[in-house]
Amino acid sequence: MDLAFTPEQQRFRETIRAWVGESLPTDIAHKVNHHLHLSREDMQRWAKILGKKGWLGHAWPTAFGGPGWDAVERHLFEEECALAGAPRVVPFGPVMVAPVIMAFGTPEQQKRFLPGIASGEVWWSQGYSEPGSGSDLASLKTRAERQGDKYIVNGQKTWTTLGQYGDWIFCLVRTDNSGKPQTGISFLLIDMKSPGVQVRPIIMLDGGHEVNEVWFDNVEVPAENLVGEENKGWTYAKYLLAHERTNIADVNRAKRELERLKQVARQEGVWDDTRFRDEIAKLEVEVVALEMMVLRVLSAETSGKSSLDIAGLLKIRGSEVQQRYTELMMLAGGPYALPFMREAMQAGWQGDFPGGATGLAPMAAAYFNVRKTTIYGGSNEVQRNIVAQTVLG
Amino acid sequence: MNFDFSDDQQQLRDAVQKWVARSYSFDKRRAAVKAGGLDRAAYAELAELGLTGLYVPEALGGMGMGPMEAMVVMEELGRGMVLEPLLQTLVASGVIHGYAPEAVQADWLPRIASGEALVVLAHHERAARWHLDRCTTTAQNAGGWTLTGTKSVVPGGDRADAYLVPAMAGGQMALFLVERGAAGVTATGYVTQDGSRAGELTMADAPATLLTTDGLTALEHAVDIGIAATCAEGVGAMEFTMALTADYMNTRKQFGVPIASFQALRHRMADMKMQLELARSMSYYASLKLNAPTAERRQAMARAKYQLGVSMRFVGQNSVQLHGGIGVTDEYVGSHYFKKLTQMEMVFGDTLHHLGEVSARMQDQAGVFA
Repeated sequence: MDLAFTPEQQRFRETIRAWVGESLPTDIAHKVNHHLHLSREDMQRWAKILGKKGWLGHAWPTAFGGPGWDAVERHLFEEECALAGAPRVVPFGPVMVAPVIMAFGTPEQQKRFLPGIASGEVWWSQGYSEPGSGSDLASLKTRAERQGDKYIVNGQKTWTTLGQYGDWIFCLVRTDNSGKPQTGISFLLIDMKSPGVQVRPIIMLDGGHEVNEVWFDNVEVPAENLVGEENKGWTYAKYLLAHERTNIADVNRAKRELERLKQVARQEGVWDDTRFRDEIAKLEVEVVALEMMVLRVLSAETSGKSSLDIAGLLKIRGSEVQQRYTELMMLAGGPYALPFMREAMQAGWQGDFPGGATGLAPMAAAYFNVRKTTIYGGSNEVQRNIVAQTVLG
Repeated sequence: MNFDFSDDQQQLRDAVQKWVARSYSFDKRRAAVKAGGLDRAAYAELAELGLTGLYVPEALGGMGMGPMEAMVVMEELGRGMVLEPLLQTLVASGVIHGYAPEAVQADWLPRIASGEALVVLAHHERAARWHLDRCTTTAQNAGGWTLTGTKSVVPGGDRADAYLVPAMAGGQMALFLVERGAAGVTATGYVTQDGSRAGELTMADAPATLLTTDGLTALEHAVDIGIAATCAEGVGAMEFTMALTADYMNTRKQFGVPIASFQALRHRMADMKMQLELARSMSYYASLKLNAPTAERRQAMARAKYQLGVSMRFVGQNSVQLHGGIGVTDEYVGSHYFKKLTQMEMVFGDTLHHLGEVSARMQDQAGVFA
């Protein structure tokens, strides 16, 4: 056992650090570090910079143009990006749909879709959840009926993150009602500019427009956009979930935000209040423990020597930690976390904020925003079912 | 960065596991508790396995191993709830090797490695609580050192052979070795909550061997060796507790079905698994940081012991709850693991103490490994 990274890994980290240092636009890092609003253009600008370097799909195999990094190198890359204040890569294209297309798509689909994902040109959205299908995703009802060389899609998806920017959406659709719910689902790629697709905003409790409803009204989808076999979509969806591994814990961002929390606590005068500082101390231990768990999973993945049953714990803990640091930041803000002025979350805003405490404007918003993390990606209660299964059978 | 165990470490684990399975049944343990809580014959068996010499250099009759090997051994002793204080042996041999003059090392380390001498850390005083720098025991040097004072809740108590004793020499804390048989030494013994032995040590002008005049540094190091070992022991005890609980939940039926089928209980178990794995992660962290520079080491031990304290309490209490009535009986092995877990939270600084340590040591730094 060894906690230290090898000299090669250290050099790798330094290379990444240097590159991120000169490539990450400072205005974007400023927004990330201060929890200010990121526009579509901000997110895509960074995606394209990564894409140009060949690192947007940094977990892709070399056969598809990926850099061929191992699990530790991927972690170091993600860590350097996070610590520098890079926005999180919007995962739906490069992290989610791309591996499915690589594993189950036709060579034509790979040729058609992967380059746009790798470059950051094409924005993908995810069409999974429906109003009646959350944790019980397999009960989904959006229908796709085969008519000749196309599917006719009818139904509604919801909680579609950043779907207002989407060019394409990958959807789980029902193609068969006869058997078990899981066996009648297909994986379909849909052009969001198709007639009959409508995106309606859902405004969240923090006032932000981050998620959407996506409606399909007799949308025609060419049959060639079916990934893999009809009625096998559930298998592909599970493959996709398995692909989201350690990154889901988001521990690198937690490390950055922990330091930010300490700054805010100092600035707001609660650092010297031992009751408050002890809460930060608890969080610090939580972050170290989470990082150690992530490293254990990475080590097992890299060496292949031991299999670990703890990957499922990472989502639970990572999301809880995220909620905790935003909660403490809001509390550190005290009364100045209360004014609800979304315009103060735009970079460069020159207006008057109560008490002049402009930096505290996003604190409550961030707290409210991340309530989602224990709900999405398989709610933490569903995750506990999975963890319990590993212990109790 | 690598978390695999080496083949040698795996073999060491297997050897200890085998010994526990073969020679340390719950009935035998129960008899040992009844007979005072420390069985020197069982301790001698640990010595035969070479474990008492784990931190002793090979040249002095030991195995010359490091913190990761100690961790592996302590996990298995924790899993078996072994009473005999190998942990104290790790502390004593580590500190004597690290701080004592060579002649003292040559005198004591071979005897520690062979199991002939059981040396323990005697540092608690009534007024000191967890503060290592508070010490009223005094040392005089008039043609040889003598100590006067009382140390409390000393592991092993009257069945240890010698004690590592911090005492004030002038204005500074120094660390001494005091033999139980020396003039002016009185040692008593009693059983603690987890069934192990402890006692009170009184010294009245008792002759002592000076280990180091940098006593606080050595004491802090001693405690840190103890913390890392306790963390590992806690992981082993929690693992066993979890397995016991899972087994019980799959056997015990209510409302016509195994209680393992109830979601409220399954989620409790998932939360226990979380606490176990957080604790295991921090136990690795503690052992991996045990040889780090002092400030970094102290910070790491505080973080680890805080996590272990939280986890051991959670796993212990919930294991009892999931067992229902049987969990609170003396007859059932599970209640003894609960007491063991509880006691481990309360050695080398409890959870609130270490939270305070983490809090006091927090510094601005980008990245927790920086």
